[in-house]
Amino acid sequence: MVDFSRVQKELQECNKDINVSGISVNPKSDNLSNLIGTITGPVGTPYEGGTFKIDIDLPGGYPFEPPKMKFATKVWHPNISSQSGAICLDILKDQWSPALTIKTALLSIQALLSAPAPDDPQDAVVAQQYLKDYQTFANTARYWTESFAKTSSAGVEEKVGKLAEMGFPEALVRTTLEAVGGDENLALEKLLSG
Amino acid sequence: MSLPGNRTRVLCKFFAHGACLKGEHCEFSHDWKDPANNVCTFYQKGTCVYGSRCRYDHVKVAQPKAQASASSSTYPYQFGVSEPVSETADPGVIGELSASSRPYVASAWGEEVTGENELLNDVVVQARSTNPADIVMCSFAAAGNCPRGENCPHVHGDLCPTCRKECLHPFRPDEREEHKKMCEKKHKHLDALKHSQEIECSVCLERVLTKPTAAERKFGLLSECDHPFCISCIRNWRSSSPTSGLDVNSALRSCPICRKLSYFVIPSVIWYATKDEKQEIVDSYKARLRSIDCRHFDFGNGACPFGTSCFYKHAYRDGRLEETVLRHLGAEDGQTVIAKDIRLSDFLNRMRIR
Repeated sequence: MVDFSRVQKELQECNKDINVSGISVNPKSDNLSNLIGTITGPVGTPYEGGTFKIDIDLPGGYPFEPPKMKFATKVWHPNISSQSGAICLDILKDQWSPALTIKTALLSIQALLSAPAPDDPQDAVVAQQYLKDYQTFANTARYWTESFAKTSSAGVEEKVGKLAEMGFPEALVRTTLEAVGGDENLALEKLLSG
Repeated sequence: MSLPGNRTRVLCKFFAHGACLKGEHCEFSHDWKDPANNVCTFYQKGTCVYGSRCRYDHVKVAQPKAQASASSSTYPYQFGVSEPVSETADPGVIGELSASSRPYVASAWGEEVTGENELLNDVVVQARSTNPADIVMCSFAAAGNCPRGENCPHVHGDLCPTCRKECLHPFRPDEREEHKKMCEKKHKHLDALKHSQEIECSVCLERVLTKPTAAERKFGLLSECDHPFCISCIRNWRSSSPTSGLDVNSALRSCPICRKLSYFVIPSVIWYATKDEKQEIVDSYKARLRSIDCRHFDFGNGACPFGTSCFYKHAYRDGRLEETVLRHLGAEDGQTVIAKDIRLSDFLNRMRIR
Protein backbone atom coordinates (compact mmCIF):
# COMPACT_ATOMS: atom_id res chain seq x y z
CA MET A 1 0.00 0.00 0.00
CA VAL A 2 1.51 3.31 -1.07
CA ASP A 3 1.70 5.91 1.68
CA PHE A 4 -0.55 8.43 -0.08
CA SER A 5 -0.44 11.02 2.67
CA ARG A 6 3.31 11.21 2.17
CA VAL A 7 2.92 11.42 -1.63
CA GLN A 8 0.42 14.23 -1.22
CA LYS A 9 2.81 16.10 1.06
CA GLU A 10 5.62 15.59 -1.43
CA LEU A 11 3.56 16.97 -4.28
CA GLN A 12 2.63 20.06 -2.27
CA GLU A 13 6.23 20.59 -1.21
CA CYS A 14 7.55 20.12 -4.73
CA ASN A 15 5.11 22.43 -6.45
CA LYS A 16 5.86 25.19 -3.93
CA ASP A 17 9.23 26.16 -5.41
CA ILE A 18 8.53 25.08 -8.95
CA ASN A 19 10.02 28.28 -10.40
CA VAL A 20 13.29 27.90 -8.55
CA SER A 21 13.95 24.22 -9.07
CA GLY A 22 12.39 23.83 -12.49
CA ILE A 23 10.96 20.55 -11.29
CA SER A 24 7.28 19.75 -11.17
CA VAL A 25 5.34 16.62 -10.38
CA ASN A 26 1.73 16.05 -11.30
CA PRO A 27 -0.58 13.10 -11.03
CA LYS A 28 -1.18 11.36 -14.32
CA SER A 29 -4.74 10.45 -13.42
CA ASP A 30 -6.84 10.34 -10.27
CA ASN A 31 -4.53 7.71 -8.94
CA LEU A 32 -1.59 9.11 -6.99
CA SER A 33 0.62 6.15 -7.78
CA ASN A 34 1.07 7.23 -11.40
CA LEU A 35 2.80 10.57 -11.74
CA ILE A 36 4.45 12.67 -14.40
CA GLY A 37 7.57 14.59 -13.44
CA THR A 38 9.08 17.38 -15.47
CA ILE A 39 12.68 18.55 -15.30
CA THR A 40 14.48 21.19 -17.28
CA GLY A 41 17.74 20.41 -19.05
CA PRO A 42 20.73 21.72 -17.10
CA VAL A 43 22.34 24.89 -18.40
CA GLY A 44 25.67 24.37 -20.19
CA THR A 45 24.83 20.87 -21.40
CA PRO A 46 23.47 19.62 -24.72
CA TYR A 47 20.14 19.28 -22.88
CA GLU A 48 19.86 23.01 -22.14
CA GLY A 49 16.50 24.46 -23.01
CA GLY A 50 14.73 21.14 -23.10
CA THR A 51 11.86 20.07 -20.89
CA PHE A 52 11.99 16.40 -20.09
CA LYS A 53 9.04 14.35 -18.95
CA ILE A 54 9.59 11.43 -16.66
CA ASP A 55 7.11 8.67 -16.02
CA ILE A 56 6.88 7.87 -12.32
CA ASP A 57 5.30 4.69 -11.07
CA LEU A 58 5.09 4.30 -7.32
CA PRO A 59 5.31 0.66 -6.22
CA GLY A 60 3.19 -0.67 -3.37
CA GLY A 61 6.02 -0.47 -0.91
CA TYR A 62 6.79 3.20 -1.51
CA PRO A 63 8.58 4.91 0.29
CA PHE A 64 10.36 1.73 1.36
CA GLU A 65 10.84 0.73 -2.26
CA PRO A 66 12.28 3.07 -4.88
CA PRO A 67 9.85 4.70 -7.33
CA LYS A 68 10.03 3.36 -10.86
CA MET A 69 11.13 6.18 -13.12
CA LYS A 70 11.80 6.34 -16.84
CA PHE A 71 12.06 9.08 -19.40
CA ALA A 72 8.91 9.64 -21.40
CA THR A 73 10.81 12.12 -23.55
CA LYS A 74 13.47 10.65 -25.81
CA VAL A 75 16.97 11.49 -24.58
CA TRP A 76 20.46 10.85 -25.97
CA HIS A 77 22.46 10.07 -22.84
CA PRO A 78 24.87 7.24 -21.90
CA ASN A 79 22.91 6.32 -18.77
CA ILE A 80 19.45 6.55 -20.29
CA SER A 81 18.17 4.07 -22.81
CA SER A 82 17.51 5.83 -26.14
CA GLN A 83 14.86 3.18 -26.84
CA SER A 84 12.93 2.69 -23.62
CA GLY A 85 13.90 5.71 -21.53
CA ALA A 86 15.11 3.45 -18.71
CA ILE A 87 17.40 5.24 -16.29
CA CYS A 88 20.55 3.76 -14.80
CA LEU A 89 20.90 5.48 -11.46
CA ASP A 90 21.96 3.78 -8.20
CA ILE A 91 19.49 5.64 -5.98
CA LEU A 92 16.62 4.28 -8.07
CA LYS A 93 17.92 0.78 -7.42
CA ASP A 94 20.08 -0.59 -4.61
CA GLN A 95 20.96 2.75 -3.04
CA TRP A 96 17.41 3.99 -2.53
CA SER A 97 16.61 5.48 0.85
CA PRO A 98 13.16 6.26 2.25
CA ALA A 99 14.41 9.73 3.16
CA LEU A 100 14.66 10.49 -0.55
CA THR A 101 11.60 11.93 -2.23
CA ILE A 102 10.31 12.07 -5.76
CA LYS A 103 11.71 15.57 -5.97
CA THR A 104 15.19 14.62 -4.79
CA ALA A 105 15.17 11.68 -7.17
CA LEU A 106 14.26 14.01 -10.05
CA LEU A 107 17.01 16.37 -8.94
CA SER A 108 19.44 13.47 -9.09
CA ILE A 109 18.28 12.68 -12.60
CA GLN A 110 18.83 16.33 -13.52
CA ALA A 111 22.34 16.04 -12.11
CA LEU A 112 22.85 12.87 -14.09
CA LEU A 113 22.06 14.80 -17.26
CA SER A 114 24.92 17.19 -16.56
CA ALA A 115 27.32 14.51 -15.37
CA PRO A 116 27.03 11.33 -17.43
CA ALA A 117 28.78 8.19 -16.20
CA PRO A 118 29.75 6.41 -19.46
CA ASP A 119 31.66 3.70 -17.58
CA ASP A 120 28.42 2.34 -16.19
CA PRO A 121 26.19 2.74 -19.23
CA GLN A 122 22.54 1.95 -19.80
CA ASP A 123 22.79 2.55 -23.54
CA ALA A 124 26.05 1.07 -24.85
CA VAL A 125 25.81 2.80 -28.25
CA VAL A 126 25.51 6.24 -26.72
CA ALA A 127 28.27 5.49 -24.21
CA GLN A 128 30.62 4.34 -26.98
CA GLN A 129 29.95 7.52 -28.87
CA TYR A 130 30.42 9.62 -25.75
CA LEU A 131 33.83 8.09 -25.11
CA LYS A 132 35.12 7.91 -28.67
CA ASP A 133 33.62 10.94 -30.37
CA TYR A 134 32.30 13.42 -27.85
CA GLN A 135 31.50 16.08 -30.46
CA THR A 136 29.15 13.83 -32.38
CA PHE A 137 27.56 12.77 -29.11
CA ALA A 138 26.99 16.38 -28.09
CA ASN A 139 25.51 17.22 -31.47
CA THR A 140 23.18 14.24 -31.40
CA ALA A 141 22.10 15.00 -27.86
CA ARG A 142 21.42 18.62 -28.81
CA TYR A 143 19.48 17.56 -31.88
CA TRP A 144 17.37 15.14 -29.80
CA THR A 145 16.72 17.86 -27.27
CA GLU A 146 15.64 20.21 -30.04
CA SER A 147 13.34 17.70 -31.67
CA PHE A 148 11.85 15.88 -28.67
CA ALA A 149 12.23 18.02 -25.57
CA LYS A 150 11.11 21.38 -26.92
CA THR A 151 7.39 21.52 -27.28
CA SER A 152 5.99 24.99 -27.29
CA SER A 153 2.27 25.14 -26.71
CA ALA A 154 1.76 26.43 -30.29
CA GLY A 155 3.57 23.35 -31.57
CA VAL A 156 1.22 21.14 -29.61
CA GLU A 157 -1.85 22.77 -31.16
CA GLU A 158 -0.31 22.31 -34.59
CA LYS A 159 0.34 18.62 -33.95
CA VAL A 160 -3.12 18.08 -32.49
CA GLY A 161 -4.59 19.70 -35.57
CA LYS A 162 -2.51 17.52 -37.90
CA LEU A 163 -3.39 14.27 -36.12
CA ALA A 164 -7.03 15.24 -35.77
CA GLU A 165 -7.11 15.81 -39.53
CA MET A 166 -6.07 12.19 -39.99
CA GLY A 167 -9.37 11.23 -38.44
CA PHE A 168 -8.53 10.64 -34.77
CA PRO A 169 -10.80 12.21 -32.16
CA GLU A 170 -9.21 15.39 -30.81
CA ALA A 171 -9.46 14.51 -27.12
CA LEU A 172 -7.74 11.17 -27.73
CA VAL A 173 -5.02 12.88 -29.75
CA ARG A 174 -4.38 15.29 -26.92
CA THR A 175 -4.04 12.61 -24.25
CA THR A 176 -1.90 10.45 -26.50
CA LEU A 177 0.41 13.35 -27.27
CA GLU A 178 0.63 14.09 -23.59
CA ALA A 179 1.44 10.48 -22.80
CA VAL A 180 4.31 10.20 -25.27
CA GLY A 181 5.77 13.55 -24.28
CA GLY A 182 4.62 15.57 -27.28
CA ASP A 183 6.34 13.53 -29.95
CA GLU A 184 4.16 13.57 -33.04
CA ASN A 185 5.47 10.38 -34.64
CA LEU A 186 5.26 8.39 -31.43
CA ALA A 187 1.73 9.64 -30.89
CA LEU A 188 0.74 8.56 -34.39
CA GLU A 189 2.30 5.16 -33.81
CA LYS A 190 0.41 4.78 -30.57
CA LEU A 191 -2.86 5.95 -32.08
CA LEU A 192 -2.48 3.47 -34.93
CA SER A 193 -1.63 0.59 -32.65
CA GLY A 194 -4.82 1.43 -30.79
CA MET B 1 -1.45 7.83 75.82
CA SER B 2 -1.67 4.30 74.53
CA LEU B 3 -3.06 5.76 71.34
CA PRO B 4 0.04 5.92 69.13
CA GLY B 5 0.73 2.25 69.71
CA ASN B 6 -2.77 1.32 68.70
CA ARG B 7 -2.82 3.58 65.69
CA THR B 8 0.04 1.88 63.94
CA ARG B 9 -1.90 -1.34 63.87
CA VAL B 10 -4.26 -0.20 61.12
CA LEU B 11 -3.02 -0.24 57.57
CA CYS B 12 -2.97 3.19 55.92
CA LYS B 13 -5.60 3.41 53.20
CA PHE B 14 -3.48 5.74 51.14
CA PHE B 15 -0.43 3.54 51.49
CA ALA B 16 -2.46 0.59 50.24
CA HIS B 17 -3.11 2.53 47.05
CA GLY B 18 0.51 3.57 46.85
CA ALA B 19 -0.32 7.21 47.37
CA CYS B 20 0.38 8.18 50.99
CA LEU B 21 1.95 11.63 51.03
CA LYS B 22 3.10 11.36 54.62
CA GLY B 23 5.64 8.60 54.18
CA GLU B 24 7.18 7.45 57.44
CA HIS B 25 5.43 10.23 59.33
CA CYS B 26 2.03 8.73 58.69
CA GLU B 27 0.03 7.85 61.82
CA PHE B 28 -1.15 4.69 60.14
CA SER B 29 0.75 1.55 59.51
CA HIS B 30 2.75 1.16 56.33
CA ASP B 31 3.21 -2.52 56.97
CA TRP B 32 1.25 -4.91 54.78
CA LYS B 33 1.01 -7.36 57.63
CA ASP B 34 -1.28 -5.05 59.56
CA PRO B 35 -5.01 -5.39 58.97
CA ALA B 36 -6.77 -2.82 56.87
CA ASN B 37 -9.71 -0.95 58.28
CA ASN B 38 -12.58 -1.95 56.12
CA VAL B 39 -15.55 -0.56 58.02
CA CYS B 40 -18.11 1.45 56.13
CA THR B 41 -18.44 4.89 57.70
CA PHE B 42 -21.78 5.54 56.10
CA TYR B 43 -23.17 2.35 57.60
CA GLN B 44 -22.06 3.61 61.00
CA LYS B 45 -24.17 6.69 60.42
CA GLY B 46 -27.05 4.50 59.42
CA THR B 47 -27.33 5.13 55.67
CA CYS B 48 -25.12 3.60 53.05
CA VAL B 49 -26.48 4.02 49.55
CA TYR B 50 -24.54 1.01 48.28
CA GLY B 51 -26.31 -1.37 50.63
CA SER B 52 -25.21 -4.93 50.12
CA ARG B 53 -23.03 -3.89 47.15
CA CYS B 54 -20.79 -1.73 49.35
CA ARG B 55 -17.14 -2.74 49.20
CA TYR B 56 -16.72 -1.86 52.88
CA ASP B 57 -17.86 -4.01 55.77
CA HIS B 58 -21.31 -3.27 57.11
CA VAL B 59 -20.75 -3.98 60.77
CA LYS B 60 -21.50 -1.89 63.79
CA VAL B 61 -18.16 -1.23 65.39
CA ALA B 62 -19.23 0.16 68.69
CA GLN B 63 -22.37 1.61 70.22
CA PRO B 64 -22.24 5.19 71.42
CA LYS B 65 -22.67 4.01 75.01
CA ALA B 66 -19.74 1.68 74.80
CA GLN B 67 -17.78 4.42 73.08
CA ALA B 68 -18.26 6.67 76.03
CA SER B 69 -16.25 4.34 78.22
CA ALA B 70 -13.45 4.92 75.72
CA SER B 71 -12.23 1.39 75.44
CA SER B 72 -8.93 1.73 73.67
CA SER B 73 -9.57 -1.23 71.38
CA THR B 74 -12.19 0.67 69.38
CA TYR B 75 -9.93 3.62 68.71
CA PRO B 76 -7.98 2.26 65.82
CA TYR B 77 -11.16 1.65 63.91
CA GLN B 78 -12.40 5.13 64.42
CA PHE B 79 -9.09 6.54 63.41
CA GLY B 80 -8.76 4.43 60.36
CA VAL B 81 -12.07 5.69 59.11
CA SER B 82 -11.80 9.27 60.10
CA GLU B 83 -8.35 10.21 58.87
CA PRO B 84 -8.67 9.64 55.15
CA VAL B 85 -12.22 10.94 54.97
CA SER B 86 -11.36 14.29 56.48
CA GLU B 87 -8.46 14.69 54.08
CA THR B 88 -10.54 14.12 51.03
CA ALA B 89 -13.49 16.17 52.22
CA ASP B 90 -14.15 19.37 50.33
CA PRO B 91 -12.57 22.60 51.57
CA GLY B 92 -15.83 23.94 52.96
CA VAL B 93 -16.25 21.03 55.31
CA ILE B 94 -12.66 20.94 56.33
CA GLY B 95 -12.79 24.55 57.37
CA GLU B 96 -14.90 23.54 60.33
CA LEU B 97 -12.63 20.77 61.43
CA SER B 98 -9.77 21.81 63.56
CA ALA B 99 -7.41 18.97 62.82
CA SER B 100 -7.24 16.21 60.30
CA SER B 101 -7.24 13.60 63.03
CA ARG B 102 -10.69 14.60 64.24
CA PRO B 103 -13.07 11.68 63.78
CA TYR B 104 -15.52 12.40 61.02
CA VAL B 105 -17.92 9.75 62.26
CA ALA B 106 -18.27 11.55 65.54
CA SER B 107 -21.14 13.74 64.41
CA ALA B 108 -23.35 10.71 64.09
CA TRP B 109 -22.74 9.70 67.64
CA GLY B 110 -23.68 12.88 69.40
CA GLU B 111 -22.23 14.95 72.18
CA GLU B 112 -20.67 12.25 74.21
CA VAL B 113 -17.96 11.81 71.65
CA THR B 114 -17.05 15.46 71.37
CA GLY B 115 -15.24 15.29 74.66
CA GLU B 116 -13.07 12.68 73.15
CA ASN B 117 -12.38 14.85 70.17
CA GLU B 118 -10.90 17.47 72.34
CA LEU B 119 -8.77 14.83 73.93
CA LEU B 120 -7.57 13.74 70.53
CA ASN B 121 -6.75 17.26 69.52
CA ASP B 122 -4.66 17.63 72.60
CA VAL B 123 -2.76 14.54 71.69
CA VAL B 124 -2.02 15.90 68.25
CA VAL B 125 -0.91 19.24 69.59
CA GLN B 126 1.40 17.56 72.04
CA ALA B 127 2.93 15.41 69.36
CA ARG B 128 3.45 18.50 67.25
CA SER B 129 5.36 20.27 69.92
CA THR B 130 7.78 17.45 70.59
CA ASN B 131 9.16 16.78 67.12
CA PRO B 132 8.88 19.32 64.29
CA ALA B 133 9.22 16.59 61.70
CA ASP B 134 5.93 15.10 62.90
CA ILE B 135 3.97 18.19 61.94
CA VAL B 136 1.37 17.39 59.37
CA MET B 137 1.80 19.40 56.22
CA CYS B 138 -1.26 21.02 54.65
CA SER B 139 -2.12 18.91 51.63
CA PHE B 140 -4.17 21.73 50.07
CA ALA B 141 -1.18 24.04 50.04
CA ALA B 142 0.96 21.21 48.68
CA ALA B 143 -1.52 20.72 45.84
CA GLY B 144 -1.36 24.39 44.96
CA ASN B 145 -3.92 26.36 46.96
CA CYS B 146 -5.07 26.30 50.58
CA PRO B 147 -8.48 27.94 51.08
CA ARG B 148 -7.69 28.76 54.71
CA GLY B 149 -4.50 30.61 53.98
CA GLU B 150 -3.01 32.14 57.12
CA ASN B 151 -5.55 30.50 59.42
CA CYS B 152 -4.61 26.98 58.43
CA PRO B 153 -3.75 24.88 61.48
CA HIS B 154 -1.33 22.79 59.43
CA VAL B 155 2.07 23.89 58.43
CA HIS B 156 2.42 25.15 54.91
CA GLY B 157 5.46 23.77 53.14
CA ASP B 158 8.19 25.80 51.52
CA LEU B 159 7.94 26.67 47.85
CA CYS B 160 9.48 24.10 45.52
CA PRO B 161 11.55 26.01 42.94
CA THR B 162 10.57 23.66 40.14
CA CYS B 163 6.86 22.99 40.52
CA ARG B 164 6.09 26.27 42.34
CA LYS B 165 3.98 24.59 44.99
CA GLU B 166 4.26 24.80 48.75
CA CYS B 167 5.14 21.17 49.16
CA LEU B 168 8.58 21.07 50.81
CA HIS B 169 8.27 20.06 54.46
CA PRO B 170 10.35 22.47 56.55
CA PHE B 171 11.57 19.81 58.96
CA ARG B 172 12.01 16.72 56.81
CA PRO B 173 15.24 17.18 54.84
CA ASP B 174 15.18 13.75 53.22
CA GLU B 175 11.70 14.28 51.90
CA ARG B 176 12.62 17.73 50.59
CA GLU B 177 15.56 16.38 48.63
CA GLU B 178 13.52 13.49 47.31
CA HIS B 179 10.78 15.82 46.12
CA LYS B 180 13.21 18.26 44.52
CA LYS B 181 14.93 15.45 42.66
CA MET B 182 11.68 13.94 41.42
CA CYS B 183 10.30 17.32 40.49
CA GLU B 184 13.35 18.28 38.46
CA LYS B 185 13.32 14.95 36.68
CA LYS B 186 9.64 15.33 35.82
CA HIS B 187 10.19 18.87 34.66
CA LYS B 188 13.03 17.85 32.39
CA HIS B 189 10.98 15.05 30.92
CA LEU B 190 8.13 17.47 30.23
CA ASP B 191 10.47 19.93 28.57
CA ALA B 192 11.93 17.21 26.40
CA LEU B 193 8.43 16.07 25.49
CA LYS B 194 7.47 19.60 24.48
CA HIS B 195 10.58 19.88 22.35
CA SER B 196 9.90 16.47 20.81
CA GLN B 197 6.47 17.56 19.56
CA GLU B 198 8.05 19.48 16.71
CA ILE B 199 10.27 16.69 15.43
CA GLU B 200 9.30 15.23 12.07
CA CYS B 201 10.07 11.78 10.75
CA SER B 202 12.03 12.06 7.50
CA VAL B 203 10.31 9.02 6.04
CA CYS B 204 6.60 9.61 6.52
CA LEU B 205 7.13 13.40 6.77
CA GLU B 206 4.77 13.55 9.74
CA ARG B 207 5.37 14.71 13.26
CA VAL B 208 6.20 11.59 15.19
CA LEU B 209 4.15 12.49 18.26
CA THR B 210 0.99 13.22 16.27
CA LYS B 211 0.57 9.65 15.06
CA PRO B 212 -2.83 8.07 15.74
CA THR B 213 -1.80 5.15 17.96
CA ALA B 214 0.37 5.23 21.05
CA ALA B 215 2.62 2.51 19.69
CA GLU B 216 3.49 4.70 16.72
CA ARG B 217 4.17 7.80 18.80
CA LYS B 218 7.76 6.79 19.44
CA PHE B 219 11.07 7.77 17.98
CA GLY B 220 13.47 5.22 16.60
CA LEU B 221 16.93 6.35 17.60
CA LEU B 222 19.86 5.14 15.54
CA SER B 223 22.94 4.28 17.54
CA GLU B 224 25.44 6.02 15.27
CA CYS B 225 23.74 9.22 14.12
CA ASP B 226 21.19 11.80 15.22
CA HIS B 227 18.52 11.79 12.54
CA PRO B 228 14.96 11.44 13.77
CA PHE B 229 12.52 8.81 12.51
CA CYS B 230 9.41 7.28 13.93
CA ILE B 231 9.93 3.79 15.21
CA SER B 232 7.54 2.18 12.73
CA CYS B 233 9.16 3.84 9.70
CA ILE B 234 12.74 3.01 10.59
CA ARG B 235 11.87 -0.56 11.60
CA ASN B 236 9.88 -0.99 8.43
CA TRP B 237 12.82 0.19 6.35
CA ARG B 238 15.39 -1.93 8.14
CA SER B 239 13.28 -5.03 7.83
CA SER B 240 12.70 -4.61 4.08
CA SER B 241 13.70 -7.85 2.44
CA PRO B 242 17.14 -7.74 0.82
CA THR B 243 15.66 -9.56 -2.15
CA SER B 244 14.07 -6.30 -3.27
CA GLY B 245 17.50 -5.43 -4.65
CA LEU B 246 18.46 -3.06 -1.88
CA ASP B 247 21.89 -3.43 -0.38
CA VAL B 248 21.75 -4.60 3.26
CA ASN B 249 24.73 -2.78 4.72
CA SER B 250 24.98 0.31 2.55
CA ALA B 251 21.25 0.98 2.32
CA LEU B 252 18.99 -0.94 4.70
CA ARG B 253 21.02 -0.77 7.89
CA SER B 254 22.33 2.70 7.31
CA CYS B 255 20.62 5.94 8.21
CA PRO B 256 18.25 6.90 5.36
CA ILE B 257 19.64 10.43 5.51
CA CYS B 258 23.37 10.26 6.20
CA ARG B 259 23.88 6.58 5.33
CA LYS B 260 25.90 5.94 8.44
CA LEU B 261 25.70 2.28 9.41
CA SER B 262 23.85 1.63 12.70
CA TYR B 263 23.50 -1.82 14.16
CA PHE B 264 20.44 -1.24 16.30
CA VAL B 265 17.42 1.03 16.78
CA ILE B 266 16.36 2.30 20.19
CA PRO B 267 12.71 3.14 20.78
CA SER B 268 12.11 6.31 22.78
CA VAL B 269 9.09 8.44 23.64
CA ILE B 270 11.13 11.61 23.73
CA TRP B 271 13.74 13.09 21.46
CA TYR B 272 17.03 13.97 23.12
CA ALA B 273 18.82 17.31 23.06
CA THR B 274 22.30 16.27 24.14
CA LYS B 275 24.62 13.30 23.71
CA ASP B 276 24.29 12.51 27.42
CA GLU B 277 20.53 12.35 27.20
CA LYS B 278 20.81 9.99 24.26
CA GLN B 279 23.25 7.81 26.18
CA GLU B 280 20.80 7.72 29.07
CA ILE B 281 17.99 6.57 26.80
CA VAL B 282 20.22 3.91 25.21
CA ASP B 283 21.45 2.67 28.58
CA SER B 284 18.01 2.39 30.12
CA TYR B 285 16.75 0.58 27.02
CA LYS B 286 19.61 -1.91 27.18
CA ALA B 287 19.11 -2.38 30.91
CA ARG B 288 15.44 -3.13 30.30
CA LEU B 289 16.26 -5.73 27.66
CA ARG B 290 18.92 -7.28 29.87
CA SER B 291 16.22 -8.16 32.40
CA ILE B 292 14.27 -10.13 29.79
CA ASP B 293 15.21 -13.73 29.08
CA CYS B 294 16.49 -14.33 25.56
CA ARG B 295 14.13 -16.43 23.46
CA HIS B 296 16.94 -17.90 21.40
CA PHE B 297 19.07 -18.83 24.39
CA ASP B 298 16.01 -20.41 26.04
CA PHE B 299 17.63 -20.99 29.45
CA GLY B 300 20.55 -22.80 27.86
CA ASN B 301 18.43 -25.10 25.70
CA GLY B 302 18.89 -23.08 22.54
CA ALA B 303 21.63 -21.20 20.78
CA CYS B 304 21.45 -17.46 20.37
CA PRO B 305 22.81 -16.29 17.01
CA PHE B 306 23.82 -12.99 18.60
CA GLY B 307 26.06 -14.66 21.17
CA THR B 308 27.81 -12.27 23.49
CA SER B 309 26.40 -9.24 21.66
CA CYS B 310 22.82 -10.22 22.53
CA PHE B 311 20.92 -7.51 24.45
CA TYR B 312 18.72 -10.02 26.23
CA LYS B 313 19.48 -12.04 29.32
CA HIS B 314 21.33 -15.30 28.92
CA ALA B 315 20.65 -17.16 32.15
CA TYR B 316 19.96 -20.77 33.01
CA ARG B 317 16.89 -21.89 34.88
CA ASP B 318 18.70 -21.80 38.21
CA GLY B 319 19.49 -18.11 37.69
CA ARG B 320 23.13 -18.72 36.81
CA LEU B 321 24.29 -16.40 34.02
CA GLU B 322 25.88 -17.83 30.92
CA GLU B 323 29.61 -17.68 31.10
CA THR B 324 31.21 -16.73 27.87
CA VAL B 325 34.83 -17.44 27.40
CA LEU B 326 36.10 -16.02 24.15
CA ARG B 327 38.48 -18.32 22.39
CA HIS B 328 41.29 -16.58 20.66
CA LEU B 329 42.87 -18.25 17.70
CA GLY B 330 46.14 -17.33 16.11
CA ALA B 331 45.49 -16.73 12.46
CA GLU B 332 48.06 -17.48 9.79
CA ASP B 333 49.13 -13.87 9.46
CA GLY B 334 50.03 -13.66 13.14
CA GLN B 335 46.86 -11.80 14.20
CA THR B 336 44.55 -13.23 16.78
CA VAL B 337 40.93 -13.68 15.96
CA ILE B 338 38.01 -14.56 18.19
CA ALA B 339 36.75 -18.03 17.36
CA LYS B 340 33.04 -18.51 16.86
CA ASP B 341 31.36 -21.80 17.70
CA ILE B 342 33.07 -24.57 15.83
CA ARG B 343 31.13 -27.72 15.12
CA LEU B 344 32.92 -31.00 14.93
CA SER B 345 30.98 -31.88 11.79
CA ASP B 346 32.19 -28.74 10.07
CA PHE B 347 35.72 -29.52 11.07
CA LEU B 348 35.54 -33.10 9.78
CA ASN B 349 34.00 -31.97 6.52
CA ARG B 350 36.87 -29.66 5.94
CA MET B 351 39.34 -32.44 6.71
CA ARG B 352 37.87 -34.68 4.05
CA ILE B 353 38.16 -32.05 1.36
CA ARG B 354 41.86 -31.75 2.01
